[in-house]
Parts: sequence; C-alpha cells; structure tokens
Amino acid sequence: MASHTRNPSVADTRRNAPSRESNTTSSRTRTASSTARERPERRSELRPVASPPPSLTTTRRTASGSTASESLRRVTTDRLTTTSITTTTATRRRADSIRAGSQPPVSPNPIKPWNPEAMLTAPSTAPLASRISFPPHSAGFPTNREPLPLNRMTLEVQEAHMLEDLLYCFMGLEGRYLRYKGDYNPEVESDRLMGPTYIIPPNLDPSLQDLTQSLLKIATHYSAVDAFVDVQSREEFGAVSHALCAAIRKVLKDYLVLIAQLENQFLTNPNFTLHMLYLHMTPTGHVFSQLSSLAHELLQRNSLLSDSPDDSDDEFGDVDDIVASLQNGGDLMGTGTKRRMCKGGSVLALLSTRLSAMSGDPAAKSLIGELLREASRPYMTMLNEWLHRGAIRDPHGEFLIREQKSIRREKLDDDYIDEYWEKRYTIREGDVPPQLEGVKIKVLLAGKYLNVVRECGGVDVSKEIKDVPVTFDDIRFLENVNSAYAHANESLLELLLVTHDLPARLRSLKHYYFLDRSDYFSHFTDLAAAELKKPAKQVNGSRLQSLLELSLRQPGSITANDPYKEDVKVEMNEMALMKWLMKVINVSGIGEDGTDLMADETRSATSDTQEKELNGYSALQLNYVVPFPLSLVISRKTVLRYQLIFRYLVSLRQLEASLATTWQDHSQLPIWKHRSRNPAVEAWKRRVWTLRARMLIFVQQLLYFCTNEVIEPNWNTLQEKLDKVKTVDELMQDHLDYLDSCLKECMLTNSKLLKIHTKIMQTCSFFCSFQSTFARGLQSVEGPDARGATSDVIHDPGVFEKLHLHLNKYEENFGRHLKILLDVLNYYAATETVVLLGLCARLSTAMSEEDHRTLDIKFR
Amino acid sequence: MPREIITLQAGQCGNSVGSQFWQQLCLEHGINQDGNLEDFATEGGDRKDVFFYQSDDTRYIPRAILLDLEPRVINTIQTGPYKNIYNPENFYVPKDGSGAGNIWAAGFAAGEKLWDDVSDMIDREADGSDSLEGFMLLHSIAGGTGSGLGSFMLERLNDRYPKKIIQTYSVFPDNSSSDVVVQPYNSMLSMRRLVQNADSVVVLDNGALTRIAADRLHVQSPSFAQTNQLVSTVMSASTTTLRYPGYMHNDLVGIIASLIPTPRCHFLMTSYTPFTSDSVEMGKTVRKTTVLDVMRRLLQPKNRMVSTNVSKKSCYISILNIIQGEADPTDVHKSLLRIRERRLATFIPWGPASIQVALTKKSPYVPMSTRVSGLMLSNHTSIAQLFKRIMTQYNRLRQRNAFLENYKKEAPFADGLQEFDEAKAVVQDLIEEYEAAENPNYLQYEGGSSGLGATSGNDAREPGRTRME
Repeated sequence: MASHTRNPSVADTRRNAPSRESNTTSSRTRTASSTARERPERRSELRPVASPPPSLTTTRRTASGSTASESLRRVTTDRLTTTSITTTTATRRRADSIRAGSQPPVSPNPIKPWNPEAMLTAPSTAPLASRISFPPHSAGFPTNREPLPLNRMTLEVQEAHMLEDLLYCFMGLEGRYLRYKGDYNPEVESDRLMGPTYIIPPNLDPSLQDLTQSLLKIATHYSAVDAFVDVQSREEFGAVSHALCAAIRKVLKDYLVLIAQLENQFLTNPNFTLHMLYLHMTPTGHVFSQLSSLAHELLQRNSLLSDSPDDSDDEFGDVDDIVASLQNGGDLMGTGTKRRMCKGGSVLALLSTRLSAMSGDPAAKSLIGELLREASRPYMTMLNEWLHRGAIRDPHGEFLIREQKSIRREKLDDDYIDEYWEKRYTIREGDVPPQLEGVKIKVLLAGKYLNVVRECGGVDVSKEIKDVPVTFDDIRFLENVNSAYAHANESLLELLLVTHDLPARLRSLKHYYFLDRSDYFSHFTDLAAAELKKPAKQVNGSRLQSLLELSLRQPGSITANDPYKEDVKVEMNEMALMKWLMKVINVSGIGEDGTDLMADETRSATSDTQEKELNGYSALQLNYVVPFPLSLVISRKTVLRYQLIFRYLVSLRQLEASLATTWQDHSQLPIWKHRSRNPAVEAWKRRVWTLRARMLIFVQQLLYFCTNEVIEPNWNTLQEKLDKVKTVDELMQDHLDYLDSCLKECMLTNSKLLKIHTKIMQTCSFFCSFQSTFARGLQSVEGPDARGATSDVIHDPGVFEKLHLHLNKYEENFGRHLKILLDVLNYYAATETVVLLGLCARLSTAMSEEDHRTLDIKFR
Repeated sequence: MPREIITLQAGQCGNSVGSQFWQQLCLEHGINQDGNLEDFATEGGDRKDVFFYQSDDTRYIPRAILLDLEPRVINTIQTGPYKNIYNPENFYVPKDGSGAGNIWAAGFAAGEKLWDDVSDMIDREADGSDSLEGFMLLHSIAGGTGSGLGSFMLERLNDRYPKKIIQTYSVFPDNSSSDVVVQPYNSMLSMRRLVQNADSVVVLDNGALTRIAADRLHVQSPSFAQTNQLVSTVMSASTTTLRYPGYMHNDLVGIIASLIPTPRCHFLMTSYTPFTSDSVEMGKTVRKTTVLDVMRRLLQPKNRMVSTNVSKKSCYISILNIIQGEADPTDVHKSLLRIRERRLATFIPWGPASIQVALTKKSPYVPMSTRVSGLMLSNHTSIAQLFKRIMTQYNRLRQRNAFLENYKKEAPFADGLQEFDEAKAVVQDLIEEYEAAENPNYLQYEGGSSGLGATSGNDAREPGRTRME
C-alpha cells in the first residue's frame, strides 16, 4: 500500500501523487511542501544533500502546493514589508553556507543503510487525518551522518542552524540539532497528543538557548494540537468535535502560512535573526498555548492521555448509555470503549467555561469565541431540529436530550409508570452546555411536545426551519428556545384539548368509570346479571362485551350519543379489589418498609382460597382504549386509578342493589309483610328491617359521599384547572391529582380505613345473602298458616332462638364496625383529610340510637 | 331502556292529574305536542325511555294506560292539545260509560268486568319494556272509579306482577269540604289496598293542596288546574332522578327503599318549594333559593302536601330531598349540618336518622327563575292523623249504616259487609304501626314472657332525638 522512493530525491507520496511539480530550490520545495501541511518524508536524508539535486521533486498534495508557493511569495512580501527585501544572492549565499556547514562527512559506504520508508497507515474514522506513517526517529539516524557539533561553529552559523531547525520543529519535525526527547514515540497516540519535547543541544551557545527554548514550546504545542485534530475528528467524538477540529484546522492552516512566510524571511533576509523569529511567533505562540491547553483538557476528559489522573473515575458513569445503545442495536463506540466521551454539550461547555475564564485576554477570547461559534453550529442544527420539529438527529449521542428508541409508543397500552413520557426523552445531565442550562427543561419539553404533535402529523416537516440562530452567540438564542417552547406547548395543548377534545374524553371517562349517569350501567348489570353472578373465572368475557355494547348502544340512553363508546371494553380482573388496593398501598409504601411486599405475597397466597369465590360483579372492570396522543394524559397509570374507583363504586352499587332486593323481599313477600300476631316475632322482624335500613343508609350515604362530595368537587376543580392550564405537564399533573384526591378521599388509600369499611360492606352483603335463611326460619316460626296469622304461637322456639342469635350477631357486627369506622374517620379527618368529616356526619346517621349515645359521649 | 315505569291513570282525578303530568314531562324533555322531539332538544342528558317509548316513526309515546268508567275526562284529553302523544289503544272507557257513581264497590266490580281488556293493555306495555321496574298508579281515593277500580287494579297487579314495584300517587279527599258523602267509605276501602298491595303511596292531600295553592300562590279558591299543576310538579320532581340519571337514585327501588324501612309504613308525604309562576300559574316569586333555604322550607309543616297537626311525638322516619338545579354539594353538606344543629327535623328514636339528598339536573328546556328547587319525600308518623280522620269520619257514617245500599248491590259486598270491617282493621293496624314507630321501644318486644327481643332497656327515653321547631 505504500510507495517508496529509493533515491535521495523526495517523493512525497500523497494521495494526489500525479500532481508533481519541480521547484528550483530545495528550500522552497520544502517550504512549499510544509505550507501544504505535509509531512516531508525522509527529510533527514534530504537534508545532508549538499546541493539541491536537480531532480528534486516533491509530490505535493493537490494544486494548493503550487499555488501556495506562488501566493506565498506575495503574502510574504505583503507581510514583511518592514524587512528590507533582500537580494536573492544574499539568501542563496546564506543558505549555501548553512548547507556547507551542515554537510556531514560524506562516506561513500555508510556503515548502516539508512532506508527510511513511508507508507500509508490504516485509515481511521477521521477523514482528514494524515495517513502517512511517521518519519523514523532521529535516534536511529546513522552516526556517520551526524551534523557537525555546534560548538565548532560561529555564533552566527549556530543561530542560522537554530533558525532552520526551529522552522522544521514548528512543523512538528525534528531538526538537525533540535531533536525529540529520547522516549518520544509518534507511533504512540498519547505521546503524540502530548506533543514532542525537544532537546536543545547542550553545546548551543547560551545566548541562543533561552529564545530557542521558548520557541520550542510553540513547536510542541503545534504538534500536540495537530495530533489532537487528527484524533478528535474521529467519528466517535461527534459532530461538535468535528466542527471544533475544523475550526482549529483553519488556525493551523494560517499558522503554516506564517511558517512559510517566516522561512521565506529566513532564506531571503540576511538580517533575520532568532530574535525576529521570536517576535513574529509570539502572538501565534499564545494562540497555540491556548489551543494546546484546550486540547489537553478535552483529551483528558476523554481519557486519551495516558497520564490522565481521572482515568478510572467515571469509568462506569454511563452504563445506562451503553445498555441503551446495546438495546438499540447500535454499535458500541469504536473499540468498545467504556470511557465517558467528552463530546457534544460537554465540549461546548468546556469551551464556554474557557471563554468566560479568558474574558480578560482579548486574543484568547476571540480565538475561543470563534471556536465556540464554529463548534456550536452542528449543535444548533440539532437544537433547531428538536425545537422546531421535535426530532432528534443525533447519531453520536451528543445532544442534551437523550432518546430511548426502545421505549415505543405502542407500549403505552401497558405502560403503568408513564415510561414513554418520562423516559423516552431525557436530559443528559452533565452534557448540557451552560448556555442551555437554564432552559434545559424548556428545551426538553418543547421537543417532547412537538414530537407528539409530529407523531400526530401536526408538524410540517417539509418546511425548512428558517430564521433561527445557528450559533450559540446569536442574540436570539434564548428567544429561540423560549418561542419554540411556547409554540410547542401551544400546539400540543391545542392538539390535546381541541383536536382530540380531551375535555370530552375526560367527561366520557367520568361517565363510564364514575357512573355519573349510571343508566347504561344499570342496564348492563340487568342484562348481564346471569353472567355476573358466576364465579369470575367462568364469566364469558365476549358475551359480557356484547352485552355492554348492547347497553351502550341502546337508543335513547345517554351513552348512545357518546362518540367514544367504542373504546370501552369490559374485562374481568381476577384480583379482588381490596387485595389490589392493599397491594397498591403497600407498594407505594415500600420506600419505608421493603418487607411489606413480601409479607403481602405470603398473605395473598393464603387468601387465594377466597379469591375463588370472587364473582363476576366484584371482578368486573372496564378498560378504555385511549388513542395516542391522549394516552399521554390518560395513561395506563391514570386508567388504573379510574379502574380502582370504578370497581369500588360498582361494589357499593352492587351492595345497594342487593340491599334494595332485600328490601323488596321484605316489603313484598307475605311472610315479611303481614303483621305477626305474636309481638315477639313482629319485634324481631322490625329489627331485621331496621338493620337493613341502617345498612342501606350506610351504603347510600357512602355512595353519595364518594360521588357528590368527592368526585364532583374534584371534577369541578379539574375543570377549572383545565380552563387555565398552561403546559401539558401541568395538564397531566392536574389530571393525576384529580384522580389521586378522588382515591384518597374515597378512603381507598388508607389501609386502616379500607379494612374497616370493607368489613362493614362484607357484613352487609352477608346479611343480604342470609335473607333466605331468615325467611325460612320465619316460616317455621310462624307456622304453616302464616298468611292467616290466626295464632300468636311460636311454632318452633328453637329456630326463633337461632334467628335471634343470628340477628344479634349481624347487629353487633355492623354496629361495632361502624363505630370503629367512625372513630377512625374522625381521627383521619382531624389529621389528614378534612373531607372525611362530612362522611363522618353522614355515616353517623346510619347508627342506632344507642351507638349514637356512646359516640356522642365519646366526642364530648 | 331499563327500569321502565308504566303509569296507570284511573278515574277522573287520576286522568286529569295524569294529563297534566304528561304535559309537564313533554315540556321537560322537549317533546312537542305530536310526540316528536323539538329541534332544540338534542342534548338534554335525559332519559326519556323510563316514561316514554319510541314508536316506529320516532314519536315518543307515554307508557300510560288511561282508564275511566265515564268518558268525560278522557274525552277532554283526547281532544286536548296533547291528544296525539298517547297511544290510542291505551285509552279504556267502557261502552256504557256511566261511571261508578262515586261508589267504590261499583268501581271495583267494574274492574272485574274490564280486567281482561285492561290486563291485555298492561301486558302489552310490560312486554314492550326491557326491564320493567314497576307501575305508577294515579288516582284519588274518594270517588268511585279511582278508588274502586284503582283498588281492584292494585290487587290484580300485585298478583300478576308480584316482583314489580307499585307506587301510587293517591289524592286523599279534603275532609272539611267534600261533595261526596260516601267518601269515607271509599277512602277506607281503598286504604286497605294501599296498605296491602302498594309498595309506596305518595299521599296528596287535597285539603293541603288547596291550602298551599291558596297560601303560597295567593289565590282565594284555586282552580283544579292549579292544584293539578301542583301535583304534576311534585310528580315530575319526584321522578327527576329517574329521568335525569345521576350517580344515585336512578331507579324507583333505590328511592323508596331507604324511605320505607318497615314495609307497612309506606305512606309518603311530599313538600315542594318554591312554587313559582314557572310551575304553577300565578305562582309567587320567591327570591332567595339557596340550598339551605330550600331544605329548611321543605321541613316546614305548612309546605307539606298533607294537612296534619304535628304532635309532639310525631317524627320523621326518613327523608329524601331531591334538589334540582345548581346545587353545590358543599352547600348541601352545610345545610344538613345546620338542620342538624338547629334540630329542625325530629327522627324516629330507633332507627337511622338521615336526610338523604339527591342532586339532579333541571330540564334545560324549561326556564326556571329560581336557581334551586327542592322536593322532599318524607315518611312521617303524623300521617297517621290523616288516617285517623278518615277513620273517624268512617265510623261516624258506619255507625249510622248510612248510604250502604249502593254498596250492597255490588259484588264485593254480596256476602255481607265484612269487607268494611276488614278494611277498618287494616287501617287501624296501620295507625297503630305509625304510633308504635314514634315509640323508642318500637324494636323491642314488650310484655311477652320470652323477652327475646329486648337486648337492653331504655324506657325512659324521650320520643324523638331532636325536636321540631
């Protein structure tokens, strides 16, 4: 792959080998080639040649080589007008003298053949990086070609040698005398990135040493920066780094032009001294020290320097990132590096910090300012794409927003933790440029919102993003973010509230889940009664679904006009509501007590037997298909809350219905209805009726409370909030708050309250199911001719006794639990939720007089 | 639609009240005189199917059966403005429409003859509904048809549809001024069926209606139309929760189950406020209608549509307030607390003491000048006084064996007059039941040897927990 030249002539093999051009002087050739930022191969071989070989040709890169030499002269004359233009002869002479002085003793048969080779190195991902192999180290230079020691020359010649060597060094090469420090190895990347250290020959005249020393620093910096550009423009460092490298390249180019001019001076101006060189190089030196320290810092961040101290610090800082990129099927960067890359926002952040740190140094400030401006361009493109289109085009992972492509919208259907909304787009903390730090939330939200709008086809992607700032230092920078945010917010809100009519959706949800117009549901339960009475596992789901649809479509019912009725699905949840709620409560409390869940698991195992008895009514649950993007607001997590409240309401209604059925039995069956002649039996019946009435009142009051005093006020609050809502996140939060406070105020979030009032409800439903036993007992007590009620004889005293016992048990159970509930309610009303006080007042009406007295005494 | 209710209108009074009621419902649901929906009536959030069904040409037709033994009132309806809404097959007047002559027995006996036809009509209506909840009978108990035929219907309905709820709106006669001398007989005989065969009876005391119409509306002698409007307002208000479904009380049983804890005490009083010119012609404008005002006024005896003297012992068994309009639940709660604090309502000492509240929508098509209006359905023990009055009047007549000839002629009395005695016993029982309910010992069995019922003694208790003011 490499091409070699075996003769002393320089055949610089570059990519554009065909374009050759002969130059008259070797020095000019060299200069020209260096101007083109080429690495002259075999220059150590070339140097010893006493006179310019006639065939000296240089393969230069492109036409820039030739034009460079042309333009060079012009520029030189332009720039160095102060220096008197010297005659060619003088320059020739001088150059010759150097050559003569530096000519090594020519030995026809060198001891060791010096056959340096140049070849193309393997391509890296940086397209513009040099691929020419490095020249061999001067340490391997045959001893017989060593130049004359300096101390055998005059000071003037020494200076001239230094000047020439320095010019080489400025291009990152070794000079004849100024050589790399021994352990420098350009093949090792970290060495290159640090830049070579040059050794000043010890026998140099002390008067030249200082200047040389300080000039050599520039050379070191240049090499480091050059290497930095090569390395940092590799693909994995991201677009911002690439832009930065491009900007630095520009500086490097100017620098090489300067070197060319200086060489011209050196060759043509006999009065050109080391001191003058120093004067000319000082501003550049400053620039380069800035650049190199910048490069150094960046490299250190990227852990590319072997001596970087924090190499192991955040080795695993971004495991998530890697996992994510693995999940995304993306390739791990380059060679599977686990290092945290300093790219994108961090680079900009670094530049910005430097910029503000250097604000006292106008030169550095303008340099870094320029670099920042250039480096921010790709970033701004991404930012604008994100802000104005809601899309991320960020193959290198440098943008401040991270996109988790694995979290897909399709998963919203069973996304119980808002994963899509919360996790799909996140901020790369630590990678945020300081300019965006203050508005990063806005940036995130703007794009997120817009993204949703876009997925719904609401953003015209074909439209070009116009009239937006393209760099960070644009004065409209923040304005851009703010206006984009406002626009995105507005369009998503509009999309949700107007296009997709969220308020109507919420109304419909309230309608289906909170049964605020329960006609459809009564109809449904009527139709499906047979099915719902079965154990939950035997319920025929599709049959239920068709019955539900039937009841929803019933003409004349309010739901028939509801456009969303198709979205309601019925399903069976085989976990009992109370168990479910307990689980929810326990899980939310897991932060404090991690063992809860375990305990719950064991408990649930034991209660499995109970679960089998779960019938259709208690397992009934509605599902609601929410289309995107409304599913962001009405997410699974909120639907779950709807379901919880729904099931609770259904259980209350079911209980109310069975108590009403009991009432119907009591008031319609002759055995209950007629007046017993025996006052004891009559008194017992009255007690049964009264207990039923108390239970019914309890359930109705509870239902009234949950609906009219909890759901309605909260709903009204939500409506008010909806009218005023400003941002989509606020909207989501409001909706969640609404549901949460409903849950809380319905006593569904407090395990104590939940347990107690579940017990009461159980007592009530047992009481209802016990009615047939009561009726049978009554029958045998009253005797066969109950209807006639002729006798006041108690036919079966034993049964009557039993009836009393049972009734006593129910009365006692109900009374006791109600009292406990009221106590607990009073406690929580005082400590947590004031709304419960209202419930307390309501429920206390269901108490018997005796219970009331004791309660009154207690509270007094 | 589920929970349909079939309305039976019997007799002159029942049909006049009924026609007013249907007129009111049509207005509230935006149904025009042909039975079609008005153009504006698109988003009422209402359920018309409880009381109406839709014919093939989408007209709304009342689930009503109109019965009378003489054609006068029915003719008026059939020629009136709303004549087209009814199903013509649902009118029933016998060919020889001579009426029952204010004799209960005549009406009852007539029922026997026409039952085949009427039961067909009822069955047809019942078959036309998905899940019939029950029947509503509109009648008066003073005359012949409403009371006699009505009683007959109650008995038969009970047999035929034992699982359905039967609610009646029964107009009780004005005992002070009556133009029918035998009205105590009729009332007594009807009362027996109301006790035994109806699940709930909304008592509308003609005397009180007249008084309210006179007092509240500043009319010296209110017209029949005005009292009928009162009644229809009450009826429409008491059915709003069925017609405008909300969270609760969307079926009849849900409403009356809590009102009627013990099966025999199922006579309900009503109060309504405010009567304005919107609901009744010449109604007085009452400005302040906060929830508290409405609820407080509902508890005032003078607003009750049953004239009774409230004794110290009498008390509420249960209360359901149906609040229509823009009522804030928190206001309701505050009002309830206030009522409790001020002890505005006395409850039975032995059972749950609750004022239930149902919040419902108002019809959007009927403009109302008041923000909130309320109907109270209550079960109050003082209603026994009404029965006692009937009893006294009955006794007065019966002692003289006056006017019995007309009764003896008819079938129910063919075997003697024990029907009268049985009815009296039933009413007597009812009165005792109500009186017993005022007693704290209602639930306890007293005097027996077994003492099984008594769990604890609390004899020296005041009759009511709270006292009326």
